Amino acid sequence: MATTKEARLRSSGNLRRGTFAIYLAVCLFVGFGLFPLYMMITTSLKTDLQTFEWPPVWIFTPTFQSYHNALFVFGGRSADHYLLNSIVVTLSSSALAVFLGAMAAYGLARFRFSGNRDIAFYILSTRFAPPVGFIVPIYLMVQRSGLLDSQLALIIVYTSMNLSFVTWILRGFFLEIPIEIEEAALVDGYTRWQVFLRVALPLVKPGLAATVILSAIFSWNEFLFASILAPGDAATIPVYLAGFSASMNIDWGEYMAVGTMAVLPIMIFTLALQRHLVRGLTFGAVR
Amino acid sequence: MVTSKRADRRTAFLLIAPTMLVLLVVNIYPFLYALYISAHTFTLGRPTPPRFIGLSNYRDLLDDDRFINSLWVSFKFVTIAVVVEFLLGFALAFLFNARLGGLAILRKLAILPIMVMPLASGLVWFYILNENFGAMNWFAVLLGATQRVRFLTDDSLAILSLVLADAWQWTPFVMLVMFAALQSIPEYVYEAAKMDGLGQWQTFWRVTLPLLSSAIWVVLVLRVVDAFRMIELIYLMTRGGPGGATETLSWYIYSTGFLDQDLGSAAAEAVVMIIVVTIVAQIFVRRLRYGEAT
Repeated sequence: MATTKEARLRSSGNLRRGTFAIYLAVCLFVGFGLFPLYMMITTSLKTDLQTFEWPPVWIFTPTFQSYHNALFVFGGRSADHYLLNSIVVTLSSSALAVFLGAMAAYGLARFRFSGNRDIAFYILSTRFAPPVGFIVPIYLMVQRSGLLDSQLALIIVYTSMNLSFVTWILRGFFLEIPIEIEEAALVDGYTRWQVFLRVALPLVKPGLAATVILSAIFSWNEFLFASILAPGDAATIPVYLAGFSASMNIDWGEYMAVGTMAVLPIMIFTLALQRHLVRGLTFGAVR
Repeated sequence: MVTSKRADRRTAFLLIAPTMLVLLVVNIYPFLYALYISAHTFTLGRPTPPRFIGLSNYRDLLDDDRFINSLWVSFKFVTIAVVVEFLLGFALAFLFNARLGGLAILRKLAILPIMVMPLASGLVWFYILNENFGAMNWFAVLLGATQRVRFLTDDSLAILSLVLADAWQWTPFVMLVMFAALQSIPEYVYEAAKMDGLGQWQTFWRVTLPLLSSAIWVVLVLRVVDAFRMIELIYLMTRGGPGGATETLSWYIYSTGFLDQDLGSAAAEAVVMIIVVTIVAQIFVRRLRYGEAT
């Protein structure tokens, strides 16, 4: 009797220690994940001097001076111009990618023809194309067509880069709809296009939401093509950010203020996406 | 669908054609164009027309120490980063899978880094790792370092600093995917294993791991391909330095093409990179294809 009781006590002690260890490890990980974000936000709220003081200033009175400088002080263009560029490019390229991708996905999921799967897998494989491998020819193409430093060039490139996963993910969603619903609509006299637009598309709304958000995140964050194809007036926010690091005396506060403005909208998106994040990020290979 | 007529084929064509057209312009044509450029001398901003030189650009790569070095640096970076990210993320997925209160919220916080603009993450890590006033040096002093740690300018530390920033962003991604895969294993599988008298380790090796294998493949291939193409952190934190210690293939192509303005060589390097990535990516595509067929 006594020994079993002792054993049970001991194992419950182990269990408690195990629980504590799990919480400790998980909290360390979360803390490590949040620390750089904390540094970015707090630095954006410091005065100029505080940003490079040694030892680092941990407690201070926050000021919005850096945000004011980034947005309103004249001296070249201010951050809002580039934020606006980013918004235009992001919205257009994700809308285009999801619209075209949904069409292609529906065509691939619902029609039988030879080479169907080859096309589907080709589209998927473009996800792996290394951007830096394509940057030289694309740069020359854009230059020839006179589209350097234009939003149009970025929109076309981003649309194509988003198409691979949009098509692939939505194809999975379309394959999951029972075909009988669409057949019934055909019997009711809908044309193929009406079936696609009025019956099938509304049924994959979660997929559309997930792909719109993932495309938007990609286009918003992209730096390499933006830096080469649109380095000037049409620059997006990452290019503007990169410009800071080239100057000799980095204004850390302003730098972090722009960084914060570039990162926070996406964080909010992420929270909205949660449910389909894994499926989207792995092309439906993991749900 | 049941009705397979000529009209249907036309509809399918109209649905798929726009996507294929975009990919033709931005994927297939540029690749062929890269092959073309790589066989010419091609200098940015110079009026002389490109001159055909056959495979010279490729032959030059073999003698180019910087190119060979960049392959080695890429290999080092990808290997260390992916191993660290995978092992940590994999272990954390199991911890998050424990049935304890509060883990759901902590998980949502943990995955925030995935969506941060890579350039912004480079910026923050550049700041944190700064030699003169960075917070990481403050911690180092706190832990007993006698002099400043040169995170970004030390030959052997610089690449590890890049790994640190990369792992910060992508370990949560591995965790998230592995967690989802773990969640998709039904409870009865474990009950069956228990009834068959399997211990915890045996259950892990013989039941859990095989069931996770396709998720593991997907995560590994995505991470390898994306770590290989990573350029933003290098752009902000080290710019290939010190002395080429962090000059990966991606960075080398970027700098040959757009800093040295030698597009012909850059295109040859790019073709090599595309071939390497295509081989790795085939593993992923084959697996998905195999999975769909069965």
